[in-house]
Amino acid sequence: MRTLDWCVLIGSVVLIIAYGLWRARHSGTVNQYLLADKTMPWYAMALSIMATQASAITFISTTGQAYVDGMRFVQFYFGLPLAMILISAFAVPVFHRAKVYTAYEYLEQRFDAKTRALVSVIFLIQRGLAVGVALYAPAIVLTVIMGWPDQWTTVIMGSLVVLYTTMGGIKAVTWTDFQQMVIMFVGLFIALGMAIWMLPQGVGLADALRLAGAAGRLNAVVTSFDWQDRYNVWSGLLGGMFLALAYFGCDQSQVQRYLTGKSITQSRLSLLFNAVAKIPMQFFILLTGALVFVFYIYEKPPLLFHQHDLKLVERMPAYGEVNRQFENAFVEQRRAAQSGIDEGNWDGYQTAVKNVERVRAEANRMAKSKGGAGNDTNYVFLSFVMKYLPAGVVGLILAAIFAAAMSTISAEVNSLATVSVIDIYQRHWVRDASDRHYVNAARAATVFWGGYAIFTAGFGRSLGSLIEAVNMLGSLFYGGLLGVFLLAFFFPRVKGTAAFAGVIAGEAAIFAAHLFTSISFLWFNVIGCVVVVTVGLLLSCSGGWSSERAHE
Amino acid sequence: MNGPEKPREVIGGPPPFLGTWRRVYTAVAAYLVLLITAFYLFTRFFNR
Repeated sequence: MRTLDWCVLIGSVVLIIAYGLWRARHSGTVNQYLLADKTMPWYAMALSIMATQASAITFISTTGQAYVDGMRFVQFYFGLPLAMILISAFAVPVFHRAKVYTAYEYLEQRFDAKTRALVSVIFLIQRGLAVGVALYAPAIVLTVIMGWPDQWTTVIMGSLVVLYTTMGGIKAVTWTDFQQMVIMFVGLFIALGMAIWMLPQGVGLADALRLAGAAGRLNAVVTSFDWQDRYNVWSGLLGGMFLALAYFGCDQSQVQRYLTGKSITQSRLSLLFNAVAKIPMQFFILLTGALVFVFYIYEKPPLLFHQHDLKLVERMPAYGEVNRQFENAFVEQRRAAQSGIDEGNWDGYQTAVKNVERVRAEANRMAKSKGGAGNDTNYVFLSFVMKYLPAGVVGLILAAIFAAAMSTISAEVNSLATVSVIDIYQRHWVRDASDRHYVNAARAATVFWGGYAIFTAGFGRSLGSLIEAVNMLGSLFYGGLLGVFLLAFFFPRVKGTAAFAGVIAGEAAIFAAHLFTSISFLWFNVIGCVVVVTVGLLLSCSGGWSSERAHE
Repeated sequence: MNGPEKPREVIGGPPPFLGTWRRVYTAVAAYLVLLITAFYLFTRFFNR
């Protein structure tokens, strides 16, 4: 990395943290530390919500996903605007009027203490598992750039996040998120602009789109239905809506963002901004990956983008033959691409693309057989950035990746600390201490969860595509969370014990579907939610379960 | 020594545009339909 890149990267990180801490200088009470005293404007919450969801994984893995699999991942977000409408209409006013710090606090008002405790623990497990993966993603960056051990990166990054999150609470998190999202937007459009600008002479944007499309990289909408297919318009609309409902409506890492709003209107506007902006943003990130694919039609890519895997393969006896096949396949693909543009002969081009994919798949298999990752999706975009982009731009894009990582991790650590203190510590251990005591407890919990994230980050190494790993983890638990909130909002007859049993049954159904069927993970949210609601209603109808509250 | 203070209650109100929340939600849903249609046409145009 060049000096200018280091200046841009370090300067951005320092400025963001300093600004966040300056905005958070009055955070001495629990209300200020965990809810910013409910003073946040819609635009700060909107970008904080977006930044929390857009992790470093979004930049690193999504672009790589478009390179290897096309743009169909964008369909995953089709259900998000519908979820935002439902949450704005139903959940936002309920949470605000309940005057709660966490979404799970509301469950005790509506059901009972055991349901609140169960759902809080599910959240802590699920979010606790995901925060390590979110922290591991940027570690890949420095592994590629500097050759540093990824453990060091996770320690440095995690420590910075813990520093400003502990000191400034949610105000620091929200205002750093705001700055980080601005940097991400700038980084995204520069990356997209560079991908277009670096196309070879004679290949315009229209030609590039035709090449990407003919190779199946512009498959933004897939209308065929398949239970086992992760990304089609139906799983995106229905499964994606359920996942977004659970994530934005029941996950404290998001609920806490809009609980800081100075009015219900401001909170609603922050969610609806995401409903409008999220899909185009993902579209352009994926389009960048698709254009990087076209760039590598004309510029020879490495056999594998994962340098460690490539070294493993290079030491194998079969490497010479595989590399020869790859070089021939690349030359043929480039020739066929020109033939496609000039003569419209796309069949030959598609065959050539498949041939390159076949050789790369074989190389990945070879790497895996020697203990490598066997998947280089997460390394495609970074290799492109580091090797081909000019000084300054590299630093800015890396700053965007680091900003994305820090915004997600800080929000997750902040929400984990909030639930630990409000729903567990204050509710079950120390009920009547001073306000100052709980602020200190929240600070200690932030340090604990930051340390936990750093410790568990190493597990990200074996998870393949990180964006899928995170969504998969979420889907194992979100169905249960969503189901219990639906019972709370829309079924007043259902009481605590029936809801509690429903959550247990819903989680059992999700894990059964995961372990014993090949159903795609996007459907787990639907399955879990339906089971929770059905069991809750059946138990309530079966008598006794619905009237328990009256006897308490 | 009686635990953390309760968060203050915040008020609702009409949206700053389109008059009612129902109209805002309808506009967002219509935007989604337009977006998916545009992506579908994009896919059909470039996929061969």
